[in-house]
Amino acid sequence: MGLFQKLAHFLGVKKREVNVLVVGLNNSGKSTVVNKFKNEEERVAEIVPTVGFSVERFQNQNLAFTAFDMSGHGRYRDLWEHYYKDCNGIIFVIDSSDRLRLVVVKEELDLLLQHPDICNKKIPILFFANKMDSKEALSSVKIAAALGLDKIMDKPWHISASNALTGANIKNIQGIGMRRPRAGINPRTFQFCFGSSYS
Amino acid sequence: MSSFKRDKKEEEDGGGNPFQNIEKTTVLQEARTFNETTVNPRKCTPILTKLLYLLNQGETLSVKEATDVFFAMTKLFQSRDVILRRMVYLGIKELSSIADDVIIVTSSLTKDMTGKEDLYRAAAIRALCSITDATMLQAIERYMKQAIVDRNPAVSSAALVSSLHLTKLAPDVVKRWVNEAQEAVNSDNIMVQYHALGLLYHIRKTDRLAVTKLVAKLTRMSLKSPYAVCMLIRITAKLLEEEDSGNDSPYFDFIESCLRHKSEMVVYEAAQAIVNLKRTTSRELAPAISVLQLFCGSPKPTLRFAAVRTLNQVAISHPAAVTACNLDLENLITDSNRSIATLAITTLLMKQIATFVSEISDEFKVVVVQAIRALALKFPRKHSVLMNFLSAMLRDEGGLEYKASIADTIITIIEDNPEAKETGLAHLCEFIEDCEHVSLAVRILHLLGKEGPKTKQPSRYIRFIYNRVILECPSIRAAAVYAMAQFGAACPDLLENIQVLLARCQMDSDDEVRDRATFYSNILNTQDKSLYNNYILDSLQVSIPSLERSLKEYIQGETNEPFDIKIVPLVPIPSPEEREVKHKSEGMLISQGPIRPVPVSREENFTEKLSLIPGIQELGPLFRSSEVVELTETETEYFVRCIKHCYTNHVVLQFDCLNTLSDQLLENVRVQLDPSEGYTITDEIPCPKLPFNETGTTYVILKFPENDLPNSIGTFGAVLKFIVKDCDPTTGLPDTDEGYDDEYILEDLEITLGDQIQRISKVNWGAAWEEAASSYIEMEDTYSLSSMNTLDEAVKNIIQFLGLQPAEQN
Repeated sequence: MGLFQKLAHFLGVKKREVNVLVVGLNNSGKSTVVNKFKNEEERVAEIVPTVGFSVERFQNQNLAFTAFDMSGHGRYRDLWEHYYKDCNGIIFVIDSSDRLRLVVVKEELDLLLQHPDICNKKIPILFFANKMDSKEALSSVKIAAALGLDKIMDKPWHISASNALTGANIKNIQGIGMRRPRAGINPRTFQFCFGSSYS
Repeated sequence: MSSFKRDKKEEEDGGGNPFQNIEKTTVLQEARTFNETTVNPRKCTPILTKLLYLLNQGETLSVKEATDVFFAMTKLFQSRDVILRRMVYLGIKELSSIADDVIIVTSSLTKDMTGKEDLYRAAAIRALCSITDATMLQAIERYMKQAIVDRNPAVSSAALVSSLHLTKLAPDVVKRWVNEAQEAVNSDNIMVQYHALGLLYHIRKTDRLAVTKLVAKLTRMSLKSPYAVCMLIRITAKLLEEEDSGNDSPYFDFIESCLRHKSEMVVYEAAQAIVNLKRTTSRELAPAISVLQLFCGSPKPTLRFAAVRTLNQVAISHPAAVTACNLDLENLITDSNRSIATLAITTLLMKQIATFVSEISDEFKVVVVQAIRALALKFPRKHSVLMNFLSAMLRDEGGLEYKASIADTIITIIEDNPEAKETGLAHLCEFIEDCEHVSLAVRILHLLGKEGPKTKQPSRYIRFIYNRVILECPSIRAAAVYAMAQFGAACPDLLENIQVLLARCQMDSDDEVRDRATFYSNILNTQDKSLYNNYILDSLQVSIPSLERSLKEYIQGETNEPFDIKIVPLVPIPSPEEREVKHKSEGMLISQGPIRPVPVSREENFTEKLSLIPGIQELGPLFRSSEVVELTETETEYFVRCIKHCYTNHVVLQFDCLNTLSDQLLENVRVQLDPSEGYTITDEIPCPKLPFNETGTTYVILKFPENDLPNSIGTFGAVLKFIVKDCDPTTGLPDTDEGYDDEYILEDLEITLGDQIQRISKVNWGAAWEEAASSYIEMEDTYSLSSMNTLDEAVKNIIQFLGLQPAEQN
């Protein structure tokens, strides 16, 4: 990194860039969530099932996000791991009304957490218990319990109920943004962090 | 340090290929930069370039390598750099066939192809279609349909062409896009229109009716794009070929109207189409030719080249039509025309080959020689250069096969190109001066004897030939004597000298040489033209194996009567392009000449078979056996085929009958004929028994009408007659002894002139013809040839009809 860039970083002139991976089962609302992160004018009117992945860019607070919106279809879930290596954070979207497949969600989450590219990294994970407007929706607490999120000790995480259609609880989540790294901690890992579980 | 040195050296080389020293492993290593969080387009683009370079140089990646690099590449989608993105598209296309899970980029590509950035859209469509498989196609169908009718011509074209490629993958899905393609045909953009027509035709090409409709519609509406018109001309020409109606159809009118199109390309395409139509007559050809003639004078070299090439094709099928353009063509030869330039380069190349030809093995030399032969046939005007080259090769060291192939090539050139004859013969003469292969020398001497007398200065060859008589082994000497005799017979002014030389040969130590010399010298002494023809100029017509057999039989039997060579059947002439004579002239059959083994002809086979049958033996020698004629359909109860054997005064009809009914035993099978006027049935030989699935033969012997050749053409009604005995299908034994008569009507049998005419090879056709005229009745007949369109076709038909073969290239 050149001297000028370092200076710019220090002064906060240049925006910090982070890569996030958006994963979750199909039809959980990943692309809709990502769409809501974007500015009003850049949003797509119609969301179709993603095939493979799509790259989206948006800004939130002082941070430039590059989101790899992965396809949640069973056929493509194996391909998530190709993008684990260099992501700075994970957004995991769960359909909170789909009680039946909650076990599948757990299975996929465990696979993700055990992956060598993920398990040793202290990357933050943000869970969206999406579709909270649905009648059958489970509360975020129940989902956290069902997925055993309390067992995640080595990574900062946060769960939030959301409604991606209206955008409720999406952009205004506390803590999606820049945090000053504290002394003694690898700055890169903690440049980006979520919510109150880590402060 | 070493790398630094290498860099320096590269710099010194200056302007070399910057990608020369790259390696696969290094590039794959470098491709890991793609995974960095922030993509640096300036770093990634050259790496992608290197990767593409390697792939296009034929470097292969394993599936794992390809998949890894492919997924690394997918991360570049986060960059917004246009150049990098387009490089990624190219990379995707290259790797799509090797890497796994390439469908991962589907959404990214669909986003790009429907996005706002026009620079991405067309390329994204192409990349998308390369990664799509049949199952995924449904998902992108909607986007493809939109793209086909997109307002941006590049996008539309890309979608159309990609669809064309996708038809290989999922023809049924693409078929549903026909409406969009139809709409694209109406586009204003020339490329879109062309591509749309291409796709539309491809979708419909299996459906003839749809194609007809398409053509009918488009020929009426004037297409804006010249490319599309060219395509339409091709489609129309194809329709015309398939359709059997004459050339006055609206399709032809359309093609002809295109001759007046304002685009040169279209005009050329139309002319080319007319030329290539199989049924084109010279009248229809005329406007096309005049257009091509105009092109010959065009300042554009491509047009001139195209015109000359097409005219070349015309010259083969319709030689007369091109004569009008001869002047223009001759101008072009002096012109710095591209085709001539190409030719010059090929001939230059030949000189290059000469330097390394001595270093390669014989087998490769043979290949080179064959290439030269092809070249010589293609460019007859260049014969002198090629000939010199060949003779130089001839003088080099080499095995028999190699030398023989060179000699073959020279002979082919001589036969093909009369201008090259003299030089070719001169080279061959030089060659036999020190030829160590006896068989080759004999062949060349034979050729000299045949071709030498027809040249302007036959005398110069005699020295070469006589040198052989002095220097070589007996078989070459004998061949040389024969060659000299041919000169003596064909060139009266040389006769005296030849006689002197032959007289010297009569003192030869070898019996064969002496015999030949005496024989020829005596014949030449008689000064009798017909003897010349019979014994010197013509070669032996009879088949060698059967001549040998007949002579053996003759020697074993009574030798009171002289041997009659007429009983030996004639050799079928291998290629119909050779010489012919119309009438069989029995007296001219016998002649001496170099002999070579020939396969046993059909006539010989039949002679043997027929001579076993009583009643046929007396008819004399078999003259000609016809092709097999089928008198029933193959799948009927009784399958009957007929072969016509012609004798001097009789015709024997051989009926091969096959019984296909398993529950019947046929007895006393015979064919009852209803002969036409003049014919008399002299004998019938029935087939006594014909069980299931066996072929039996029955014969009918007929006498030709006396001295009435024209009336010998006739049509006979034929009925198969037999006694049926029902039998057990498994054992084949008849149930009862009592049978009943039954008959089965066969198709009419025709005896044509062709059955009665034998092809005979005559070297000196003119002389033989005149001679024949004195001893035979010349028969003239006019045949209506109006149904034929081309010269070739007419000749072919006559040959088929009369069983003749063309005389001496007349």
